[in-house]
Amino acid sequence: MRLLHLVNGGEDLGRSRWFWIGFAAVILALVALPLYQTEFEASNASYYLLNIPLALGLSMLWGYCGILSFGQVAYFGIAGYAYGVIAGNLTETSWGPLVGSVGGLLLCAAVGAIFGYFVFFGRVQGWIVPILTLVFTLLLETFLGQTAGYQWRIGAVQLGGYNGMTGIPPFQIGNFIFQGYAFYFFALSLTVAVYFISRILMNAHFGKIMIAIREDVLRTETLGYDVRFYQLGVFVLAAMLAGLSGLLYVQWGNYITPSQVGLLPAALPVIWVAVGGRNRLLAVAIATYLLNWINYTLSEAGNQYAPVIMGALLLLVMLFFPRGIIVAIAELRWPWRRDVTPVSVQDRSA
Amino acid sequence: MDTLGLLASILYQFGTNAAFLLLAAIGLVVILGMMNIINLAHGELMMMGAYIATIVTHRGIPFPLAVLLAFLLVAMFGAALERVIIRRFYGHELGALVVTWGISLIMGQGTLLFFGPFMPSIGIPGGSFSLGAYSFATYWIVLIGVSAILIAALWWIYQNTRFGLMARATMQKAAMAEALGVNTDRVYMLTFALGSGLAGACGALLAPTVSISPLMGQQFVAPAFITVVVGGAANVLLGAIGSSLLLSAVKTPVGLLFGAFIGTVALLLTALIIIRLMPNGVSFYLQRFTERRVGA
Repeated sequence: MRLLHLVNGGEDLGRSRWFWIGFAAVILALVALPLYQTEFEASNASYYLLNIPLALGLSMLWGYCGILSFGQVAYFGIAGYAYGVIAGNLTETSWGPLVGSVGGLLLCAAVGAIFGYFVFFGRVQGWIVPILTLVFTLLLETFLGQTAGYQWRIGAVQLGGYNGMTGIPPFQIGNFIFQGYAFYFFALSLTVAVYFISRILMNAHFGKIMIAIREDVLRTETLGYDVRFYQLGVFVLAAMLAGLSGLLYVQWGNYITPSQVGLLPAALPVIWVAVGGRNRLLAVAIATYLLNWINYTLSEAGNQYAPVIMGALLLLVMLFFPRGIIVAIAELRWPWRRDVTPVSVQDRSA
Repeated sequence: MDTLGLLASILYQFGTNAAFLLLAAIGLVVILGMMNIINLAHGELMMMGAYIATIVTHRGIPFPLAVLLAFLLVAMFGAALERVIIRRFYGHELGALVVTWGISLIMGQGTLLFFGPFMPSIGIPGGSFSLGAYSFATYWIVLIGVSAILIAALWWIYQNTRFGLMARATMQKAAMAEALGVNTDRVYMLTFALGSGLAGACGALLAPTVSISPLMGQQFVAPAFITVVVGGAANVLLGAIGSSLLLSAVKTPVGLLFGAFIGTVALLLTALIIIRLMPNGVSFYLQRFTERRVGA
């Protein structure tokens, strides 16, 4: 009962009965997707879905806690490469992918914790954090790019330089290999689970502290909360969620290249989160799915303008819908709507 | 003789590294220090300057004139950018970061579409000379001098001109400056134009030493931002000098021993350690030190 109450708290979009009916309908449509779409289309849909955990992590970090990071793709890459190395070396056993997944997530948490320790316990000013995350990402890309050649080999796996790592094994439990429709359901259930956990977390006491930190660090501190500790906590959480997306990505495509951690991929999560509405998780999830779909459709049609269009979209959103397009749509005063969801706290973080 | 050559070589390496960091960061430093805006399109403005200089040099215009042209054109572009977009984000630190990031994306990818992935670069002007077994490029020696002159000129502008006075007043307390009749709006526009122009000119100056491509701005991003982060915001010019010298002192030996990439990693590690030890950056301590000396 208490959990239900937290799910339906005020820190995300949609609390009415009709909202939940619509939500259930969308989930049902996604579950039934194999009935009306081919395996290829379901595989594309898995790709749009698997980016959502990363975006939700960034939303909590930036939208709720007021810490902007340009470096979420770094953790995406770290988890992907770690999975590739571990699972690629344990091909004889069936539990290799599972160990690889756990290892990737733990490595993300460890790197995030070390990086976050220096940043948050150094009480770095607001704008330095995004810059350092960006620099970290660029260095990781440079590092991975120069790992070509035979000496960059961990066990049986080659890191592969700019050509990246190929032949990464898919996820598997026991003898069941997640591919095609099975992988789609795997990605869908993980994404929905991550969404609900994030929503509960942000409505719980933890989320209130996040918002307090965003609004006023000093005031939160004088109320007795160790701000540094909570900032580090949400940073590690976001790093692990980005890592989860990275794991799903390599399990989906079976390869990863350093360009996945480059400047352009680093920009995309910020665009998804800003376009959706950074302090509403559901808006971020919807925007992530739609923008990935648009981006894929554009580049599939051979359209080279996709990155420019994405950049322009970010510019327009920041200028005209600073709270996000999806949030703006959701808060329109529809004629049949009696109550307008109250905006709990005005966001002053950006 | 050879010890002298080695010493000169190390000093030369140190100087070029420091000059590179300073040139990569100076436009960013001006905008950050005076306006508290992080310009993530900084690398792309440098790219724009490099493109302008390269294109007009290929047309036969002398290189110093090309640099001047890059300064003027990019400054005008910066002024337009400030009027249309940046102006709306004063006081919104993170918003300004994100919006300039969008601008950088459009500029980089737009250039890629418009000019293609490569452009023939211009050769390094001036030859080289050697001292013992070591050879030195004249152009880099000139660049070291130019970066010193640039810093001195900026210092002079901010200390001795009317614009500098108004800019410093605006930086200290914008509302008060406005009440005293300073057109802060104009100061912000000119500052952003100056910062952009400097980025353009430095991009043009570095153009002969790097390969020219639409995404070349990226290679300046990491060093420029590390320099600014280490410098801190207490006194940006002082910070830029201090941090580029300090970082060069780290990068030069590490780079000589372990290669360029490890040198850059050492830069990031130094930055992390320095912000852990001195959260206000090098400039805060440098300023306190100089104040104490002047006060004594």
